[in-house]
Amino acid sequence: MLKVALRGLFARKLRLGLTALAVALGVTLIAGSYVFTDTINASFDKIFAATNKGTDVALTARRPIKIDQGTRQTLPASLLSQVSAQPGVAAAAGSVTDQATVFDAHGHRFGAGGFPGLVSSVSAVRRFQGSSIKTGRFPQAPGEAALDAGTAEREKVKLGDTIVVQGGAKRAKLRVVGTTQVAGVSSLGGAAFVDAVLPEAQRVLGKTGRFDEIQVAGDPGTTPAELADRLRGAFGREAVVRTGEQQARSQSSEIKASLGFLTTALLAFGGISLFVGAFIIFNTFSITVTQRMREFALLRTLGAKRGQIMRSVLTEGLVLGVVGSAVGLGLGILTAAGLRALFKVVGVDLPSNHTVIASRTIIVALAVGTLVTLASSLSPALRATRVAPVEALREGAVPTIRGMSRKLTALAGFLLVAGVALMCVGLFAGGSSSASLSFVGAGAAATFLGVALISPRLVRPIASAVGLPFERFGGITGRLARENSVRQPGRTAATAAALMIGVALVTFASIFAAGARETVAKAVDQNLSAALVVQSENGFSPFTPDVLRDISRVDGVRAVSPVRFSQAKAHGISGRVTVSGVDAAGFAQLYKVKMTRGGQAALDRLKGRPFAVVSKKFADDHHLRPGATLQLTTPTGAGRSVVIVGELDDKGGLLADLSFDTTYLERAFGEKQDAFGLVGLRPGAGVAQVEGRIKALLHRDYPATKVQTAQQFKDAQAGQVNQLLGLIYALLALAIVVSLVGIVNTLVLSISERTRELGLMRAIGTSRKQVKRMIRVEAVITALIGGVLGLVLGMVLAILFTQPLQDFTLAIPWGTLAVLLVLAGLAGVAAAALPARRAAKLDVLAALAYE
Amino acid sequence: MSFSTPEARVAGPAGSALVSATGVTRVYGEGEAEVRALDGVTVGFPAGRFTAIMGPSGSGKSTLMHILAGLDRPTSGSVVLDGIELSALDDARLTDLRRDKVGFVFQSFNLLPVLDARENILLPLSIAGRKPDQAWVGRLIETVGLGDRLSHRPSELSAGQQQRVAIVRALAAQPSVVFADEPTGNLDSKSSAEVLELLRRSVDEFGQTVIMVTHDAQAASYADRLLLLADGLVVHDGEAHSAGDVLDLLKAAG
Ligand SMILES: Nc1ncnc2c1ncn2[C@@H]1O[C@H](COP(=O)(O)OP(=O)(O)OP(=O)(O)O)[C@@H](O)[C@H]1O
Ligand SMILES: [Mg+2]
Repeated sequence: MLKVALRGLFARKLRLGLTALAVALGVTLIAGSYVFTDTINASFDKIFAATNKGTDVALTARRPIKIDQGTRQTLPASLLSQVSAQPGVAAAAGSVTDQATVFDAHGHRFGAGGFPGLVSSVSAVRRFQGSSIKTGRFPQAPGEAALDAGTAEREKVKLGDTIVVQGGAKRAKLRVVGTTQVAGVSSLGGAAFVDAVLPEAQRVLGKTGRFDEIQVAGDPGTTPAELADRLRGAFGREAVVRTGEQQARSQSSEIKASLGFLTTALLAFGGISLFVGAFIIFNTFSITVTQRMREFALLRTLGAKRGQIMRSVLTEGLVLGVVGSAVGLGLGILTAAGLRALFKVVGVDLPSNHTVIASRTIIVALAVGTLVTLASSLSPALRATRVAPVEALREGAVPTIRGMSRKLTALAGFLLVAGVALMCVGLFAGGSSSASLSFVGAGAAATFLGVALISPRLVRPIASAVGLPFERFGGITGRLARENSVRQPGRTAATAAALMIGVALVTFASIFAAGARETVAKAVDQNLSAALVVQSENGFSPFTPDVLRDISRVDGVRAVSPVRFSQAKAHGISGRVTVSGVDAAGFAQLYKVKMTRGGQAALDRLKGRPFAVVSKKFADDHHLRPGATLQLTTPTGAGRSVVIVGELDDKGGLLADLSFDTTYLERAFGEKQDAFGLVGLRPGAGVAQVEGRIKALLHRDYPATKVQTAQQFKDAQAGQVNQLLGLIYALLALAIVVSLVGIVNTLVLSISERTRELGLMRAIGTSRKQVKRMIRVEAVITALIGGVLGLVLGMVLAILFTQPLQDFTLAIPWGTLAVLLVLAGLAGVAAAALPARRAAKLDVLAALAYE
Repeated sequence: MSFSTPEARVAGPAGSALVSATGVTRVYGEGEAEVRALDGVTVGFPAGRFTAIMGPSGSGKSTLMHILAGLDRPTSGSVVLDGIELSALDDARLTDLRRDKVGFVFQSFNLLPVLDARENILLPLSIAGRKPDQAWVGRLIETVGLGDRLSHRPSELSAGQQQRVAIVRALAAQPSVVFADEPTGNLDSKSSAEVLELLRRSVDEFGQTVIMVTHDAQAASYADRLLLLADGLVVHDGEAHSAGDVLDLLKAAG
């Protein structure tokens, strides 16, 4: 029986190849995601191990709560002398490292996308120095810098050239005296790394008198662990004390944690491709089992048992699954490089030095691919066992699949209801975000399956509708194409459903993005009364308050108002509370918020005090009314009780859960940097002139910050949304390619089934061109069925998903959706290329003689 | 016997025939495996006649028919159909020729299952993008007596009905010649009679030219003329009057 199975498998090489390809493409992104993120993680491990190699013990500032935006806590420089005085300490040195944007002398920014580089201090103690010199020397005086060799090479920076660096202060001009490498690697994923002497680095980063880290070397005979214990005893209250190894692990895992979402997101997209692949595998097996019914029946008459038939089909599945998964694993390894390039395009350049292929990757890829293939072939295999031996004797064409059974309809209905219910639970019930996400994901998968199951009933009406123009203008070939596409509704439906998933997700993403753009635009139009907005070049790094101070002195500027962000833990509230700081006095003139409780007076009362205005949504969620008190833990570690004095409804979504006065935010939260600056003009001052003056100032002193008019700001926000959308499209492309393979597969199999018919048509005078056109139209109709189903489903999902979002403006991008449908049709044409050629090449006589 | 002499193989002047083959050979395979399906056949088919081709299995009947109809090309020799030399035509032209000048009836599977009887009948015209001659098609349909079955799909028709639809399909485009390869091979004697009657009437009433391959002596007796093939050669060419005659001839051809 095994022989029979394998013979069946190899008898149709093209089918074998196409099915294996569907499995492979399904596995590709999963394997690629693992390889990609493992490689990144390994690179970070290596980098941090190298930079901490000479450090026995490291002291860093305590971080009572983890924040992912805002200023990081630092240590006072005075701590160093106390550390040095401890017994067992051979050497100790303070260092700073933080983000900064690096330019060449002409203002050209280094590094891909908007991501900033890093400025670090070179250590006075050689063994603490993480990087090593490749050419030139380390900086020895203020005004000197060493640049990482990768950036120097890419940007053609020579020793002696000037670079411009802006961190948390005014920009500094530094002369490059050396190039560096870390762990023997000259590039850390495209970001620029600058080393300067400690005072210079502190000045550039706005950390004069502060350290990010104190590195300690112990006396011979003292182990790092002992030393760490001793220092923890002495300084445990003001600093976190770790051994060098722990420090490396901690730094590395912090980065990994912040990249963790990336693995999850990529695996989710991989899962989508595999899900789509499962449809195709299922469909291919269904078709081939149907085509081989006579053969199975014959085997049964010859005495084969049901189990043997079943095993032979499952063996096909197993072989295909293993082969396909193995190919997918290989493709995945190649894809990892592609992913890196993709992320680089959108500005996220991640280090990846040596491709890491973990055994976990191999096991997961092979297991998942094989299991999905086996599971998808299970139902066709079961059907194969049900063939009655007499079928072998029956004359006529292949037995057609009967209409959908009641049971299936009930299952489809159940899946739809359960899917929508699950999504609603995820969306509306609240709860932890990962739990909601799982609900939503499972709900979406169930919904897709449900729609796929009822879609055989939708095939006929949709095919009639989308096939109409082809029939009208394509004559008999159009008519035949439509008839052929509805001949086996189940087959067409499964093929179309695979495409439906991709189209639905693309529709969903584009509606979401259109809504986001629209929401931002509306918010800016309705809420922003400032003429100009100041922001860092990349849109997310905070900048020194000096920027706004200097802008306030520019001719024509009436008022500037900063917005800062931080985070806190609130007693009795799970998760982090987002916090914004505004200039209580001037803010309301530049940004309109609707005070729903407390009125303007509430804003005026903030003034440097532990008073907060709460956002309406947060207030409603946590039942906070003016007069209520919240116990907060801030990033500095201080416990603060703050009083709610008002409530605002910020349609523009700029402000956080709680808003404080800027001076209070600085004092209580340690947030010294601005995220946005709103600029109001004097009456009569021309926007363009003032903008020009501010631009000149920023170009000279703060090149990492930019000023934008309201319109430019809107456009920039829309641009960011579009970039994210582009990334999502790129990741969904694979799922769509898989579904196109499905169309190819179905067509090839259907054509081989219709060889006689094609032979007859050719004999009575149908030209090759007409045959090609017929196949192409059939593919287009199938693709359009998938497209229409996907569009509708995507729209429904988008509308459902945006319900819980307050102030989200639903905007359906009809133009984009129309283009999407046209693209789906064109994809059908592309998928038809190979099958159409095969059908047209058919030898007429051979086809007529075909059994 | 005179008809087995070499002279008898030459079927009249090829010039006056609607379809004619001159020195047609068709060789399959090479070397050891070489099969000469046709070994220099010269034969002409005048217009408005019903010719039956018979011969033992493997004698080259289908091959000859395929070559005459432009479905296959001879290894050597030439075929002229309605004044057109087929060897000069490329594939696309041959397709057009089949579409416009040739009607086909095969042993089985003549109809597209997704089209109903009327659509199948009009298929060659639809492919050509030609408007059907309603009066002509109406008359044909009336002749076959399928009026009430026209909106049925092939799966809803009996084998005999299917063959009759196929014949109407072959006649609908008013081709120069209709080729039928064992059109009654799958039918019972009553259905066979109906189909053969129909072919006969197409010749008598419409002046159609019909060339039919058959194994059935009864079927051959409907024809005006009988061609006997053996081992790729025409071994008899003459009138066919009754089934008895035909059986005698077949026996003689061995
Ligand atoms: N494609 C092919 N390849 C090789 N040999 C072929 C091919 N087609 C036909 N032949 C051979 O050519 C010879 C004539 O075949 P043909 O089909 O014309 O016979 P036929 O008279 O129609 O027989 P039947 O009555 O069985 O239909 C046979 O020996 C056959 O085996
Ligand atoms: Mg034959």
